[in-house]
Amino acid sequence: MPDGSLLVQMLIGALLGLSVYLPLAAGQLSLATPGFMTVGGYVAALLSTRVAALGGAEPLYPLPWLLLELVLAAVIALALALVVGLPVLRLRGIYLAIATIALNEILRVLLLNSSWTGGAVGIFAIPQPFGDPLGYLAALLLLLLLAGAACQVLAGHPLGRAMAAVRDDELAASCSGVDSFRVKLLAFGASAVLAALTGVLAAHFFNTWNARQGSFDASITTLAFVVFGGSRLWLGPVLGGLVLTALPELLRPVGDLRLVVFGAVILLGPLLFPQGVVTPALLQRLPLPAGWRRRLLP
Amino acid sequence: MTAAPPLLQVQGLSVRYGSVLALDGLDLEVHAGELVALLGSNGAGKSTTLRAISRLVPASAGGLFWGGRPLLPLRTEQTVKLGISHCPEGRRVLARQTVAVNLELGAWLRHDRAGVNDDLERCYSLFPRLAERRRQLAGNLSGGEQQMLAIARSLMARPTLLLLDEPSLGLAPRLVEEVMGTLADLHRNGQTLLLVEQNAEAALAIADRGLVLEAGRVVLRGSAAELRQNSGLRASYLGG
Repeated sequence: MPDGSLLVQMLIGALLGLSVYLPLAAGQLSLATPGFMTVGGYVAALLSTRVAALGGAEPLYPLPWLLLELVLAAVIALALALVVGLPVLRLRGIYLAIATIALNEILRVLLLNSSWTGGAVGIFAIPQPFGDPLGYLAALLLLLLLAGAACQVLAGHPLGRAMAAVRDDELAASCSGVDSFRVKLLAFGASAVLAALTGVLAAHFFNTWNARQGSFDASITTLAFVVFGGSRLWLGPVLGGLVLTALPELLRPVGDLRLVVFGAVILLGPLLFPQGVVTPALLQRLPLPAGWRRRLLP
Repeated sequence: MTAAPPLLQVQGLSVRYGSVLALDGLDLEVHAGELVALLGSNGAGKSTTLRAISRLVPASAGGLFWGGRPLLPLRTEQTVKLGISHCPEGRRVLARQTVAVNLELGAWLRHDRAGVNDDLERCYSLFPRLAERRRQLAGNLSGGEQQMLAIARSLMARPTLLLLDEPSLGLAPRLVEEVMGTLADLHRNGQTLLLVEQNAEAALAIADRGLVLEAGRVVLRGSAAELRQNSGLRASYLGG
């Protein structure tokens, strides 16, 4: 596949992996990453196909409008994350996981049954801001680098420490004065924004967008990125997203078994790599320059 | 009365877990500089009292006041901001983080870097073993060292009132003595403490006064010296 579209999909996978990782770093399991990605994709699809003034008919969709879509998608995703997170994140435990499954389903059913969003067919002929996959590659790589850099800064930042504390022992974190509710809400909000931004780029890239992007299967797939890659360091979900997106494509002959492969990873992954592939212990063993190791380990 | 108002005032505090009344109308005052021991057997309501003060469990009745200010509407992290530091039962150190990171977490709300560094050094001199292990993961410490780390972490908030839940639990007798000795030192230096203990003997050896809880009610209260002499308490908790 010389056109780079597999690489584009791998980068989308890596970004979605980071989106699942962020709340997990604060001990919260969110299954709504595909849901937020779907929302972002619809923002892009609707604006670029329904608002003629934005230049959807031009040979190349203008980049300023792409930026507008990104901003709008981020704002809407953040608002949705607040609606779900405000009531749920006050509680300790797995309530976010349950609420995010519900959010995915509500979004899917709403989008599927609204003629405004193209119903079950979705939206076709989404205009292209880039002439070839290289443009998408550059845009997604930039987003991944920004998100990775943010995660890297976070690892050494007091906020990142507080997230780790909430993940490891929320009661101990509260007793130390950490506002665990706010920390969890921040992490969940960042996750939603990242997924929505990815969705905007993905919708343009795929040229078509529909509600199936936010199915429960997709939730499990993105979760598999983190289970496989590891949730202790941000490099883990990035690796998981890259590898697990590439794997089914490279194994095209068994393409229909894609879900079986993911099922096997979720089952075998924790047995073979209980902490995922990328762990602090692995980084200690790798022959990395000492400076790198110190920087990558929190 | 010319006496200073109490730092912490607990009035008729009750806590319910479902249909179980874990704490039934507790009255308690802690004055600045005091070391008050809260004694009793398992399930008497001692930990529940601390958890209610630091707002980890909701109260079903009664009042909680901090220098006259109501505590009940606050969340846990807000009580820490006011100066109440709860060292929870079972140590609850972050096992996958280093000793130093655990201590830094205790200073989460503070922004006076110089003061935090001073307090780090104070904690390391109070517990020299933590200084030796500051780069080790807390999960690799012994039980006694973890307890010291938990206490030190609570001190890093520079609390006005330190709530300690069973610091002697699961420790060898020599370590119990060491931990209690440290608490006595803190008390001598003016730290106010509310100490929950099953080990009544060890607690009363360092406390100013104490309360004995049974099934959520106070059955006995008095100075530490009185309680040490009390025949009922001796029979129940001090092994004759």
